Amino acid sequence: MAEMQNSNPTIINAADLPTRLRPTATSKSEYGGIFTSALPLAPVDFESAPSSDSEDDNLMEEPIDEQEIYDLISTISDPEHPISLGELAVVSLPDISIKPTLPNVLDSPLQTVTVLITPTITHCSLATVIGLGVRVRLEQSLPSRFRMDVRIKEGTHSTGDEVNKQLADKERVAAALENGALMGVIAKMMETCR
Amino acid sequence: MSPKVIITHLSDLTPPSQERTWLTAPHPTLPIVATCSSDKTIRVYSLTNFTLLSTITGGHKRSVRTAAWKPHMVGESVLATGSFDATVGIWRRWDSYGQEDGAGVGMSCGDKESPADGSTEAPNGTGTGTPDREEDEEWRFAVLLDGHDSEVKSVSWSASGMLLATCSRDKSIWIWEDLDDGDNNFETVAVMQEHGGDVKCVSWHPSEECLASASYDDTIRLWREDLDDWGQVACIKGHEGTVWFLDWEGEDSENWNGLTSDSVSESDLSALQAQWRSQTALSGPRLVSCSDDRTVRVWRRQPKESQQHGALSSATTGIPSIIRPTGTDEVWEEDAVLPHAHELPIYAVAWSKRTGLVASTGADGRIALYEEQFVTREQEQQAGSDAMDTTSGGVLRTDWVLVGVQDGAHGIYEINHVAWAKRADRGSGGEEVLISTADDGSVKVWTVTR
Repeated sequence: MAEMQNSNPTIINAADLPTRLRPTATSKSEYGGIFTSALPLAPVDFESAPSSDSEDDNLMEEPIDEQEIYDLISTISDPEHPISLGELAVVSLPDISIKPTLPNVLDSPLQTVTVLITPTITHCSLATVIGLGVRVRLEQSLPSRFRMDVRIKEGTHSTGDEVNKQLADKERVAAALENGALMGVIAKMMETCR
Repeated sequence: MSPKVIITHLSDLTPPSQERTWLTAPHPTLPIVATCSSDKTIRVYSLTNFTLLSTITGGHKRSVRTAAWKPHMVGESVLATGSFDATVGIWRRWDSYGQEDGAGVGMSCGDKESPADGSTEAPNGTGTGTPDREEDEEWRFAVLLDGHDSEVKSVSWSASGMLLATCSRDKSIWIWEDLDDGDNNFETVAVMQEHGGDVKCVSWHPSEECLASASYDDTIRLWREDLDDWGQVACIKGHEGTVWFLDWEGEDSENWNGLTSDSVSESDLSALQAQWRSQTALSGPRLVSCSDDRTVRVWRRQPKESQQHGALSSATTGIPSIIRPTGTDEVWEEDAVLPHAHELPIYAVAWSKRTGLVASTGADGRIALYEEQFVTREQEQQAGSDAMDTTSGGVLRTDWVLVGVQDGAHGIYEINHVAWAKRADRGSGGEEVLISTADDGSVKVWTVTR
């Protein structure tokens, strides 16, 4: 591999990373997946929706929260260090949010997962690869009703807008998934995922 | 109340691909469609009974992204396909689907107006078909057009069928001439590289040799041949995100009547329609586009006549000819931004050549339908604007109205494409159906009624 871009990154002690201390999912089995008021970081900036009396009985899956998203992506390895994205603080729990995709459609099961990525250095050329890895990991792990919104956190990268446009482009992401060389890199990053 | 349109699910095309399906191309004359799938195949379905007729395999090494039927073919169908493998395939097949599924259409283009019912036999009728024939062998691979450096995103045949345009992530547009020499030779006519990003869509003008393209660089560009060179004649900036898809207005939308929300008498309406036709004749067909910016926009060419001889044309509206483009340059203006209907990127838009309805769809899984309606004098006055007399020389205005929404048209899945096609199943009366194509591979056929 070429010269490392950031040979001495700041690393967070694994014991300090966010984890679910309480037991997973409460016993409310059919609890609606759309407006889980129990979310630790429920976003407050979307229009207050009807309370959870309109839960969708058709959803047999467990509710998915930010911690679960974090657990899925924090163990991805950085492409140039054998260190996880969580330990490098490239992804962090407060920068993950889940919102209804169509807040005005009462029974829509669609939800948007937003993940803001903080590159270790502002000119990191690997930001696109990291973002793609996060998006691919989520697409492969989450049910199809989730829409992915993976972006570079504002002000943390010199060409953030360009990277974001690529990451949001469905066609480019689909083509990347068929690109053997690129998927080799992504697969290596995901070797450390459980 | 605005007249509303009801979207009703008619049928799925079965069996579907198990992988993402990108686009469905209706045949220009036969009741069949071709769908493009990430499983590297093209599937040909019947619109008569909604079943699979053929699967074209083995041609592309990656996702098939796009396909288009060559127009004006008689007795044979020619399909161009574009793939993420950077190539364009040309496929040929002698027309016989009509015989196989007993629909009584297919061998000649002349019978396209024949009633779909009456002559329809059971799909599995015996006799005419040859059941043991290998279906896949019926499609003959003709030629692979090689030239793009990366994924091909869109292909389009010109109205005459002589020219094929292809575009790619490599930012280029290629125009190929089908030499029609019986040897499947295509000649590269032009390579245009002005776009600053992936070219997502190419679409030919319905009658002229004028190509429109849409890009990741957020622009729409128009291209024409001047003397011997193909060149850009317009660059439309307006969208604030990738422009995903384009479609042209039909040149003869005879069934569009511009219904207003107020009751207008028949004679008033025909007067309005006559005025509208003369007012719009010089602009030519408009262009509709959809974008990552969640908008659908309509664009109109500023009439050359008004640019150059504004005072001479009675149909113009006194627009001073300030701008005098030189050569072949064209000025395209934003005609309308359609009502907001999508919360996520809009991947496809389709302008019905028959009814003038516009359909759009995208990542939010929603299908939206819009109708253009005349703005009446009463509405103008209510809106507090100048009391323009719509029937005596004032500029006739229209509004686009959202007339139908289908949420979750493919359940939880994103919808990649929507197209209008002539309805062909038993009992249909020649009206149109809408065909939508989704991430789970499903392809659905919808009726649109009032």
